[in-house]
Amino acid sequence: MTTVTLQYYAQLREQARISGEQVSTSAASLRDLYEELRVRHGFSLSSDALKVAVNAQFSDWNRTLRDGDTIVFIPPVAGG
Amino acid sequence: MKHFSLASDAIDLARLHASLQHPGSGGFCAFEGWVRNSNEGRAVNGLEYEAYAELALAEGERVVEEAIARYGVNAAHCMHRTGNLAIGDLAVWIGVSSAHRDEAFRACRYIIDEIKHRLPIWKKEHYIDGDTAWVACAHTYREHEHEHKHGHDHAHEPAAAFVPDYSRQTRLREVGEVGQAKLAAACVLVIGAGGLGCPVLTYLAGAGVGTLGIVDGDRLDASNLHRQTLYDARDIGEPKVDLAARRIAALNPTVTVRTYADPLHAGNIVDVFEQYDLVVECTDDLGSRYLSNDATILTGTPLILASVYQYEGQLQVVTAKPGDPCLRCLWPQEPAAGVAGSCIESGVLGPVPGVLGSMQAIEALKLLLDLPRQADHALLLINLLDGTSQRLPIDAAQGCILHDGCIEAARRGLATAQATHDVDIVFGDLDAAIAAGYTLVDLREAKEIAAQPLHAPSQWIPSALIGERATELVKGPMLLICASGRRSGVAARMLRGQGMLNIHSLAGGMAALATPHDRFVG
Repeated sequence: MTTVTLQYYAQLREQARISGEQVSTSAASLRDLYEELRVRHGFSLSSDALKVAVNAQFSDWNRTLRDGDTIVFIPPVAGG
Repeated sequence: MKHFSLASDAIDLARLHASLQHPGSGGFCAFEGWVRNSNEGRAVNGLEYEAYAELALAEGERVVEEAIARYGVNAAHCMHRTGNLAIGDLAVWIGVSSAHRDEAFRACRYIIDEIKHRLPIWKKEHYIDGDTAWVACAHTYREHEHEHKHGHDHAHEPAAAFVPDYSRQTRLREVGEVGQAKLAAACVLVIGAGGLGCPVLTYLAGAGVGTLGIVDGDRLDASNLHRQTLYDARDIGEPKVDLAARRIAALNPTVTVRTYADPLHAGNIVDVFEQYDLVVECTDDLGSRYLSNDATILTGTPLILASVYQYEGQLQVVTAKPGDPCLRCLWPQEPAAGVAGSCIESGVLGPVPGVLGSMQAIEALKLLLDLPRQADHALLLINLLDGTSQRLPIDAAQGCILHDGCIEAARRGLATAQATHDVDIVFGDLDAAIAAGYTLVDLREAKEIAAQPLHAPSQWIPSALIGERATELVKGPMLLICASGRRSGVAARMLRGQGMLNIHSLAGGMAALATPHDRFVG
């Protein structure tokens, strides 16, 4: 199991009803982790519509998880 | 109701009077100007008013609005007659309602003095002896120029020519007079005059940016006022570009303002961007952001993007320099409609676009003044609930370059947008199309043309050959024509897909035109 810190922005924050959380997961990649979270929180956006950043750097969705990673999922927003 | 009107016939004063009823008003004051029987010793038996209506209406509206703002009255209206008037007829009517009588009297006086002085309305007097003369309206005494103090607690001096004072920013070593001259020479386009656009426009106008273009197709709604700080409650229903232009003129009269009352589209955005040094994207529309991004990449005009969601915002500067990342480097495709949250659906706290718009203004000034900036490119995420921000460096090597590069992505994006924008256009007759600047291209077969000639200069390329003979087409807007609009529609979309963005199809084809017979009879 890997323990990571998650931060949610915009629609994801609203749908998860929290702005962040710490999770222990067996997911191998960022994409697997997002799919796991999608089921848990009912996220409406697919990973294709999102950017993901790990430890303040944009990252590839296939990146493997490491203990202590801080992961941010970022949807595009339109408000003005 | 408008604040100023022209009337060519006698009008119903009771209705005007009723329109100024206001629950907060404790006083009403009216002024009536009548036609009298003499002027400067000559007997007059009537007169005629002639107005340059467009200008008179705009200036009259301004005068009454000034009076409302200056004296803080609740409602005011001025009506000026035009045409022939007899002795005793009402020439001007002004009504003002306000909380207290003093402001009502003063506002009334202000309006009549300014109207007489500023409106392009001329008076022709008819004398008893049969002579007539146009009478100039000169030497108006303006009571308010002699006011030292009036109803409420701030005094207004007579307007003098405004001299901007930028000393607080030129004092900055990095700005100075050289920087100020750069700002004065700069042309900046602000797309969207809403929550983000209001602070951007305010700060750029205040800073003395020489020319500001404003794009906004909306009218002010009451729901805008919690975050759109350029506007007042009494502006509701007015086009935002006009309101914003007026506000900027009041804030810094030295700024030149250009307004675009329709959203930019794939057909004109590149031309518009080429006229500006910098673009600030402030809409609440993802489609507009992608369109702006693509035009920025193709024209090399830097773009400052921001957007907000509830309590958060995102900020990205697209420098449009080769090798620097763009919006598509992050999110290659525009998300489907409804995927990205908007202020209407998700709500937003007013100061959130205020903060992000202010940051856009900072980025704009940094670019215009060539101030020190972060060397790398990043997406800035700001959460105003927990006060955190994250600066995520964007690696251009992981963006559009993995496909065909930003320029190719922008070309494709614009072509897709263009392919769906106003391909089919309606004309009642072909003369109108020619007058609108279109070159006609007839795609029909020889037999069809013989049976129903166009009766207008045109180029002939049968639809089956349009693909291979596309290079023969002239530059500039073209109107493809066939019998029903079907072949021309298919051809226009195909050519647009090849990057020929100025191609249109006559909607409904020849069948939709009035026949020459219809046109010449009657």
